[in-house]
Amino acid sequence: MGSSPWPQGTNTRSLKRIWPWLVLLGVLGMVRWSKGVGFADAYALISRPFWPGPAQKEWIQSAQQRQDASRLQLLEADNARLRGLLSLDQQGLGDGISAAVISRTPDGWWQQIVLGKGLLDGISKGDAVTGPGGLIGRVQSVTPATSLVRLLTAPGSRVGVWVPRTRQHALLVGMGTARPQLEFLDKDVKVRPGDLVSTSPASTLLPANLPVAIVQSLNPRGVPAPTALVQLIAQPDAIDWVQVTGR
Amino acid sequence: MGRLHRQPICVASGLLVPLISLAAPAWLSLGGMTPSWAVLWLLPWSLVDGPVSGVLAGAALGLVLDGLSVGDATQVPVLMLLGWWWGRLGRHGRPIQRSLNLGLLAWIGTMLLGFSLWAQLLIQGVDAPLAQAFALHTCLAQSLITGLLAPMIGSWQLLIWRRRIPA
Repeated sequence: MGSSPWPQGTNTRSLKRIWPWLVLLGVLGMVRWSKGVGFADAYALISRPFWPGPAQKEWIQSAQQRQDASRLQLLEADNARLRGLLSLDQQGLGDGISAAVISRTPDGWWQQIVLGKGLLDGISKGDAVTGPGGLIGRVQSVTPATSLVRLLTAPGSRVGVWVPRTRQHALLVGMGTARPQLEFLDKDVKVRPGDLVSTSPASTLLPANLPVAIVQSLNPRGVPAPTALVQLIAQPDAIDWVQVTGR
Repeated sequence: MGRLHRQPICVASGLLVPLISLAAPAWLSLGGMTPSWAVLWLLPWSLVDGPVSGVLAGAALGLVLDGLSVGDATQVPVLMLLGWWWGRLGRHGRPIQRSLNLGLLAWIGTMLLGFSLWAQLLIQGVDAPLAQAFALHTCLAQSLITGLLAPMIGSWQLLIWRRRIPA
């Protein structure tokens, strides 16, 4: 038997030695509970000189215009279908908040990005995050100066979407790979490769009719319903600026 | 416990772990995976400062990193276990400082960490074949890059920290 690694002496002496560390653990527990308050903000402060410059922001804004044009087409088709049937709540992108990406891990266990704006800028949990081309994820947690975004590719990420051409709903499930999986709710699926995937026109969690992905391949023999692999339109690993849209 | 934890500069070096994890330098990655910076810091810390300090440092790092990550998976239990194990290794037998030993310990530690996160994903219902392939790739790539970096970074940390605390 080797010597014990625990502090020697009476219980009181051991407690005196260890209590500052227990307090530290308690404080860090608070950090864990608050999803990184302090650390994420400190990182934002330290890395501010290295944030992406305005050049890509302009490029993203022009891409945003192209995205808006395609979104307009979707909205027109949607309005034509619904005209005369019911008056649907008009949800739109509105005035999104532009935010710089200050940390990104598009691969690995936690597929996330950290934005340089947070609670103080009006961002809240659950907001949609879009890059040039379409949706890339949702805000998972916010600190005063940063927002943690869970990417659509992250394992376990689940977002309700639909295919406008066939008007079929599906669940976009992140697999950790660059191509998320589309899990259809119906067994009779008429989707084919090349179809656009967007957010549902009746979505209450995300802005309606937001382009998300393109269907790449279909697995009609999926159980319990067919599945498809999709390619996201917006590439989170190459984006320095994003738009955050509230619900 | 050793005496490393009584030196503020050594404790403060732990703050670099969450900051580097957030920065995630893409040029230092293998197959898209960056190394486990928590393992790279915790290994020399525990070897020098002992098992109790290793457990506390593992818990502290795990709590902070969990706070900075999306999802519900946690690193705390495995980092505490690794801190304890490496602390005991540092206390018993000859000092561990050879490159192969450090690399192997870091590789095993990262694999354990990866398997624990993989298990948590399975429990959360992420069990599609594609997700399994992703988890395997992530485990292998991260453990390999961590194991390769450990001899360089770990030796340097061991050298500095052992100088500050002569046996």
